[in-house]
Amino acid sequence: MRYAKHYWEDLAVDAAMPPLVKPPIQQIQLTRYAGASGDFNPIHQDDAFAKAAGMGGVFAHGMLSMGFVAQSVTNWLGVGCVRRISVRFAALVRLGDVITCRGRVTAKRPPQGREDGQVDLDLWAENQKGEKVVTGRATVTLPSRG
Amino acid sequence: MAITVNKDVKGKEYPPFAVTVERGKIKEFARAIGDCSPFYLDDAVGRASEWGDIIAPPTFAITFRDENADTGAVLKDLGVDISRILHGEQEFESYKPIRPGETYLCRSRITDVYEKTGRSGPMAFVVREMAVTDADNEIVSMVRHITVVRL
Repeated sequence: MRYAKHYWEDLAVDAAMPPLVKPPIQQIQLTRYAGASGDFNPIHQDDAFAKAAGMGGVFAHGMLSMGFVAQSVTNWLGVGCVRRISVRFAALVRLGDVITCRGRVTAKRPPQGREDGQVDLDLWAENQKGEKVVTGRATVTLPSRG
Repeated sequence: MAITVNKDVKGKEYPPFAVTVERGKIKEFARAIGDCSPFYLDDAVGRASEWGDIIAPPTFAITFRDENADTGAVLKDLGVDISRILHGEQEFESYKPIRPGETYLCRSRITDVYEKTGRSGPMAFVVREMAVTDADNEIVSMVRHITVVRL
């Protein structure tokens, strides 16, 4: 985790985000996330329900994975810098999966007047088999050296 | 057995609802993700920060729910059981940090409903947008959400 912010000038297009590796997904984390988020869909809690629904067993809330992806950005570039973040949920995350969040800089826009400079990122999260479970993008604002 | 969704809900606006952000809820949410940044968890760090208090993580607005406007209400309108849905896509645009103690107004509507056949069969996509504004009627967040229904 970084506390100091990066300056806009310090990030180059194609720069890689330091990967964020999360601990293996456990049922208790899905239960905590249900309580914290208010998403009590039993498909994330009740294996029999998830099997009956044809999903082969419980799987993690997509929003938990998106939380990991957002964390990977704020760990790198600072809390409060994310202006926009969007993701597509590409594959299910199962119990025991180890999720790694990765990203890279795709574009930069210089500061304009009182507006901070912006940086665009490509983001993705993969499981321990290297399969992408989330793909996404973010735009962050960063202060300038001026 | 194949099901259908009620496409007439396209354009439907749900009743606005107000949410007051509880300090403990921000911390509970950050901990559930395993994101233990002191800017979310430590009141003293928050007070000393540029925001003067802790702020919420980027995806926190997902907790802004109301039984008359949430996924459950949408499913009822679609005529779909919860066991058939998946989360397709999600987006947050953030204009101001979300702070403890603030009361926000949330307005949600269905912007699109369309069907497509993917690798795993026919699916309906339900696109929702929620605007979050503060007491000054300034936009705080735009939340966009695509729910996938397995038909």
